[in-house]
Amino acid sequence: MTNSAVIRTDNTKIDVSDIQGFALKGYNFPFARYLLLELLHPKAAQNFIGQVVQYLTTGERWDEKPVATVNLAFTHRGLVQLELPEAALLSFPVEFQQGMKARREILYDTGKNAPEHWDPVWSEDRVHVWLAVNAQTPAALEKQCALLVQLMEQTGGARQLQAQDAGAIFIDGKPTSKEHFGYTDGFGNPDFKGAERECVPGQGKLAKDGTWEALATGEFLLGYADESGELPVAPIPHLLARNGTFMVYRKMHQNVATFRDYLEKQSRLYLGGKEKLAAKFIGRWRDGTPIELSPDQPDPAIVQDDNRNTNFTYGNDLSGLRCPIGAHIRRANPRDAFGFHGELVNRRRIMRRGLPYGQYVPEGQPVRDEDDRGVIFMALNASLFRQFEFVQQQWIEYGNDLHQGNDKDLVIGNHDGKGKFVVQGTADAQNPPFVCAHLPHFVELRGGDYFFVPSLTALEMMASGSVDPR
Amino acid sequence: MANQSGQVYGLTILSPIVENERIDICHATELRWYLASLPRDHTSPFARVSSTHLARLVVMDDVVFVGAPAHEEHLKSRYLVFETNFDGDLDTYLTRMAREIPEVVESVWKHCVGYPGVADPAGFVAYMKKCQIATTFFFADVNDKTVQQNLRALQVQSALAHFIEKNQGEPAAEIQKSFGVLLERLAKAPAPLPGGDDSEETSAEDRPHD
Repeated sequence: MTNSAVIRTDNTKIDVSDIQGFALKGYNFPFARYLLLELLHPKAAQNFIGQVVQYLTTGERWDEKPVATVNLAFTHRGLVQLELPEAALLSFPVEFQQGMKARREILYDTGKNAPEHWDPVWSEDRVHVWLAVNAQTPAALEKQCALLVQLMEQTGGARQLQAQDAGAIFIDGKPTSKEHFGYTDGFGNPDFKGAERECVPGQGKLAKDGTWEALATGEFLLGYADESGELPVAPIPHLLARNGTFMVYRKMHQNVATFRDYLEKQSRLYLGGKEKLAAKFIGRWRDGTPIELSPDQPDPAIVQDDNRNTNFTYGNDLSGLRCPIGAHIRRANPRDAFGFHGELVNRRRIMRRGLPYGQYVPEGQPVRDEDDRGVIFMALNASLFRQFEFVQQQWIEYGNDLHQGNDKDLVIGNHDGKGKFVVQGTADAQNPPFVCAHLPHFVELRGGDYFFVPSLTALEMMASGSVDPR
Repeated sequence: MANQSGQVYGLTILSPIVENERIDICHATELRWYLASLPRDHTSPFARVSSTHLARLVVMDDVVFVGAPAHEEHLKSRYLVFETNFDGDLDTYLTRMAREIPEVVESVWKHCVGYPGVADPAGFVAYMKKCQIATTFFFADVNDKTVQQNLRALQVQSALAHFIEKNQGEPAAEIQKSFGVLLERLAKAPAPLPGGDDSEETSAEDRPHD
């Protein structure tokens, strides 16, 4: 799809001091708390926002890592409560105005994932603000949160509805990037122009010559050209939108007992063995090795090498013999699996953040589904509709694009005991074809919403009541 | 071959809708009411014309004004737009419509100018072809197989998945024996009905080994 009319600039310049750090990079801090707030009287709420802004963590490069970070985002209801002018409020994309709950049919947040099963905090539609603290130590986390609570009380502008703790899983006293099912997580995130990091092979987008380059900034930040060469749909005025982005927040409970039991039972029939089957589910061995690169065993050397651990394509594995066509990472980011040098996925990318919550239970120890554990999934993108919602609806909860019929993502699909997952295979005894049927609900949604992550300029405008859409 | 993509035919028909200022309810409105009442699931009348991949009926009042400078354009009348993707040749398909869903054809096209009725299929075919415009380019979101081939393939795929699920891990000789039974049952199983099955993966045809 070469279009000479599309103007691409390679001299993208972004003002990192105006962008919330969370929107630019994962902090990799082991401790986090997400405070879900209700805004109170609009004037007091504006005052509160104005106070918080001075503590916000921007995208500026750190000479020295801070002990804690602070970031802030709003639901549409929150912006209403702040009394933004109606002309500005109505200019936000419809899916953001509606909020995630209203989008439940589109997202397949039905059955066990339906809002009636969510945490009570979401039932009254009062969540206005997501105030996030990431910290290096528990003490720093407590201190930063206490300060923010104090600001709420002093200004009378906000009230805490829920404090959601999250954090890296510690094994042998060391923070890891594991999640509760035992997989090493959080490898891939798309690179985009202007971001601090140079493009890492396997991230960003695939060029025609097979190399990788950064995506257009406008796929992830408002106010910049996107992959179509246009500015993304954004609210007015321009200053309110620029350097901001949208975030989806989803609390996903993990049924660890069900997962372990299912994997155990299935692997008794699967000749490749338990760990290989676990790898087929996700597309990575549990240590993080991409199965596409190392189909027969995990390879720590690949995991540790940032130039290799996300550097692969599916073009030579269209029948899924190495990485199953329906494996989780292949669904969420199909790369070149649909042909056209991967161009069909470039506008469907999301930037993931997120951390586990709840107590980790090592393999082999008794564990219960009911215990409170899972992952706080957060993803950033310029268009919730075109990026997150599309991936969730078409690639996670449906299989047509992948030629997998009605099959859903094994791990996070909304199954209700009916789903199946096909492991493509060969006559090789170590890599046989296999069908996982009667998939249970491994992950259940416990709440969430869509948030707007404003720039510092926008926050100051909001705090001073000077958002002017005219 | 502008109307064909592989073996799938993409038909476009524009039939002018009768204008009559002396009646209370105009034909376009009555037609809209009727179209809205037609089922769109597997009980759709077009499921009975079993070579249909997809069919769509729309009342088009006029062209929509777009852009500046103001240059207003109008159609000569309102039109019924009929689009369908099907297998085989046009005459056969239209004849099947006349024979297999005559009451639907009658209820729809009686609102259109010059409609000769459906009693004489050849007359209906000739009328429809007079209203045909070249499709020139269409997106057929199907492979190059017939509806029947696709239904059969889905049936086999589903049966095979269930078969593997049930038999994986069994001794090879047993699997081979069961597989023979599966093939035999599949060969005898009637083809699934067109129009899709809302009960999804639970239909008896899907599970010939159960």
